Amino acid sequence: MAPILEAHDLTKRYQLGETATDALRGVSLSVEPGEFVALMGPSGSGKSTLLQLLGGLDQPTSGQVILEGQDISRLSDDAATQLRRERTGYVFQAFNLIPLLNVRENVALPFTIAGVDPSRGEAATRIAEVIEVVELTGKERHRPDQLSAGEQQRVAVARALVTKPALLLADEPTGNLDYTTGTELLDAIWRSSDAFGQTTVLVTHDSKAAAYADRVLVIADGRITDEIVLGRRSDHAAGPLIARLAQVGL
Amino acid sequence: MRGLQTLAWRTLRARPLRSSLTALGVALGVAVLTASLATSAGIDAAIDRTVADVVGRADLRVAAFLDRGLSPAALDVIRSSSGVALAAPAVERRTFLRAPIGSGPFDPVTVLGIDPAIDAQVHDLVLAEGAGLSRLGERVALITERLAASDGYQLGAELTVQGAGAPVTVRVVGIIAGGGPFVGSGGRTVVVPIDVAQEAFASDGVSRADLVLAPGHTAAEVVADLDARLTSEPFVISSPRDIAESLQASTADVQSTTALVSVIALFVGAFLIFNTLSMTVSERAREVGLLRAAGAARSQVLGLVLTGAIAIGGIGSLLGVVAGLGLARAMAIYVGSLRGFPAEPLAPGPLPTLVAFVIGLLVTVAAALEPAIRASGISPVEGLRARLDLEPARRAQLRWLIAVFVLIAVAGLLTWPAAAGTNGAGRALVVYGVLLLATLGVPLFVPFVVRLAGLPFAAVARLDERLARASLSRDRSRTALTVGALTIGLAMVVALGWSAQGAKAAASAWLADVIPGEEVVTSIRPVTPEEGVTEALVAVPGVHRVTPIATFDVASGGVRLDAAAVAGANLASDGRLNFIAGDRNQALAAIDVGGAVILAKPTATRLDLGLGDALPFTTSDGEHLSLVVVGIVEHSIPGRGGEAILVGWSEATSHFDVTGADFFAVRFDFGAAGTARPALEAKAREYALEPNPLERVQGSVTDALGRVYGLFDAIALIAVIVAALGIVNTLTMGVVERIRELGVLRAIGLSRRQASRMVVVEAGLLGIVGAVLGIATGLVVGFLMLILSGVPVGLAGIPWASILTAAVLGIAVSIAAAWWPARAASRVLIVRAMTAE
Repeated sequence: MAPILEAHDLTKRYQLGETATDALRGVSLSVEPGEFVALMGPSGSGKSTLLQLLGGLDQPTSGQVILEGQDISRLSDDAATQLRRERTGYVFQAFNLIPLLNVRENVALPFTIAGVDPSRGEAATRIAEVIEVVELTGKERHRPDQLSAGEQQRVAVARALVTKPALLLADEPTGNLDYTTGTELLDAIWRSSDAFGQTTVLVTHDSKAAAYADRVLVIADGRITDEIVLGRRSDHAAGPLIARLAQVGL
Repeated sequence: MRGLQTLAWRTLRARPLRSSLTALGVALGVAVLTASLATSAGIDAAIDRTVADVVGRADLRVAAFLDRGLSPAALDVIRSSSGVALAAPAVERRTFLRAPIGSGPFDPVTVLGIDPAIDAQVHDLVLAEGAGLSRLGERVALITERLAASDGYQLGAELTVQGAGAPVTVRVVGIIAGGGPFVGSGGRTVVVPIDVAQEAFASDGVSRADLVLAPGHTAAEVVADLDARLTSEPFVISSPRDIAESLQASTADVQSTTALVSVIALFVGAFLIFNTLSMTVSERAREVGLLRAAGAARSQVLGLVLTGAIAIGGIGSLLGVVAGLGLARAMAIYVGSLRGFPAEPLAPGPLPTLVAFVIGLLVTVAAALEPAIRASGISPVEGLRARLDLEPARRAQLRWLIAVFVLIAVAGLLTWPAAAGTNGAGRALVVYGVLLLATLGVPLFVPFVVRLAGLPFAAVARLDERLARASLSRDRSRTALTVGALTIGLAMVVALGWSAQGAKAAASAWLADVIPGEEVVTSIRPVTPEEGVTEALVAVPGVHRVTPIATFDVASGGVRLDAAAVAGANLASDGRLNFIAGDRNQALAAIDVGGAVILAKPTATRLDLGLGDALPFTTSDGEHLSLVVVGIVEHSIPGRGGEAILVGWSEATSHFDVTGADFFAVRFDFGAAGTARPALEAKAREYALEPNPLERVQGSVTDALGRVYGLFDAIALIAVIVAALGIVNTLTMGVVERIRELGVLRAIGLSRRQASRMVVVEAGLLGIVGAVLGIATGLVVGFLMLILSGVPVGLAGIPWASILTAAVLGIAVSIAAAWWPARAASRVLIVRAMTAE
């Protein structure tokens, strides 16, 4: 089966006044359909930048990103918008929700943006489904300020999954959460990947979070330095990963 | 949820203070615009109604040029014109009624003599009591309700009309409702049969004849016919439209300045909207980034911001229109009291209110467009960062500000009152252009002036001053926009104040330049030399000189001009008149001899005449006469419509049918005014003359100007209030942005009072900066306004009162605007502040 996502020799340079910073220095990777991949690395390694390029939020300085056979690295704004609307779902570390909308409305946001009535038909069914996946049934009318940080992030995951995107991208989703809450969130993400075959790319600096993935790509200084294959595991034990990371000096 | 529009509504409701203040700013701007448009429409309607009342069913009015009126022969010529179906003659004179013993003295009245049978076919008189006049020859009268109330007359009372002939006693048989359909009489009118009036004033002439045209005939035909056949005496023909236009011209200055100031209030409102929405976009950048990451298109983000703007604009414009209608009523009453129009304001039609509503909405949308476009351009990555890149935003803001202000200028021109004319529009554009340039220049000066303004605060509250300056520097464009609005409002206060000061000084100087005396004694009828009034007044101890002056109309080249008969020798020895061409002594001596005329500079320019040129006239006998221009002066004696041409008494009595003086200028012996004045005034009253010191005459002129400018100041104050609303928004936003900083400061010991004071100091800085820049801009604009209106700047003097007012107002308004944000800052909860995003 062909990879659902490919990146070929990606670079990203940021010009800040007279200085230039190379956030990515030639990154290539591929992700199979249904695979859960973690991008791991220290702060400033370029992992968030790579995620933004993979999700079409930004354009590379050079290189290509192919999603479902389509080059998405040089899309027009309209086409990139359409991509984000239909084929990718994004979860950020913080500020994922619109404060003035309740849980259901936040989850329904992609449908609302697309002009689909979220109160009827398939859209309504799907919204209820993803809310159940993230275990927030009964809290549909709650506003973000009435939820805990972990619950807010689960709503963000539900929103990212509601349109059944080809690719779910999560950028340090547990960064602001405690261990227990973070675990609950990762469980929800893993469930969607395992049960629904959701292709997921997760950025993290936390090995316990990365341990949920089938495969871990280690990034340092704008390059992929190592690849650790863990396979699909329901126990998410971090031991093997930590040991492997230690072997490669991380 | 219907699309993202629900989010737009919720965003407005989530920020009630900001939304309310912005809507209020729009409302104030639209209210002033509505009031201006409605007042203009109301004035036009009032004028039309006044003209209809005055002219009745007449199609033309033929008026006498000379005091003696149109002769019976002239009236016959008019009646016999084939195009005239009906000619209603009238005699109109001002005089005093003989007061009953033990009462009075009362103000003069207008006596109107009519042919009852003919006049009833042309004019309507609404009676409150009694019956109308029925025929000629009866010694009966109708009086207005106002006259009856003020002088104590009732049905059946007798009153005695005093004129050039023997006094005539008439009996009141009817009372006309209110002040009657008469303009310029102040509601004090007595209507008698025309022959009774002619007897009282010892004249068989008529003041005018109102003509109803025969079917199938046009006004142009009748005018041509009379021009050809009525050559024995000069006359003036006017249509109802002509009369309306002359009434409108008297309100042109009020209407044009009101329109300008209201456009500027809208201009300031646009600042508020622009600034508020720019702040909102900056604040919601992350939310926008999130929406874009979730797949929202640029157009959807644009629509989200514009929906909010349209909601604010719609609500604000609606409120503004309602408030504006109330303001229009007040303005119409005020303007009416200044110009002698009917005091009750007319309800404006739907068009002015609809125009104001649409303009308010359009300005809001236009001001919101740049922030909306900027929001739609935020990329997901940019939006999710901590702060936006401000520099490109500032450049875009500058371009868009210019576009919005051009739109407002176009809207102002499209709704410019017709009566104000193109000259008024040109002047307004110049002033508007200067204000726009000042607005664009504000960002250049703000940093420097803020630093200077902080010096006095630094001396007493160093920490507060530093924190306040840092807050103002956080978003320079926001600070510049806030200061810019205040600058414009205060600039108008200074400019209008200087303009008013100049106008008053010019009016006072004008009178002092041309009137050869310290006292002005006026008569409601021409005082002939035979009455010996000049001699009687000169005989009063302490009186040095009495100069009789007559004001009258002359016809030159088919145009009516103001003229005055003066004794040149008196003006020469009194040192009056500022000659800019010709020798003073020779010119003044020449007009006494005859064959000569002295022109005021504006008249000479208008007629394109210079020294030595001949000015042709048509005399009272219909003959042609040329007078040589022997002098041109800076200013001349004020006439009805402009500055009078000066001729000698011999010329006036021989060729222009002048019979006597309309007023006397009295010069006292040096130092004798105090003792001589009471005796002179008593002597004047014996002759039924009204004495007034020249200062009182000047004072009444300057008071009238002051009242007119007071109206403009009130509107300019509204612009300052709108700017203050912007300050509230800016300071509140500053508190929100700095909430973590405030939390930290409070955590390390800053008191609530200190937190509050920090915001007040920031407001004080804004106020000082706005005042400094506003005063500077106002002086430039005021200078231009003086130059464009022909008032010498040196004469006007420095407007210290206006400068002080602007300074105090700017600072006071800013500090008052800080009340709510300062309170919010003092009530910040430390724990919540530390965890805020």
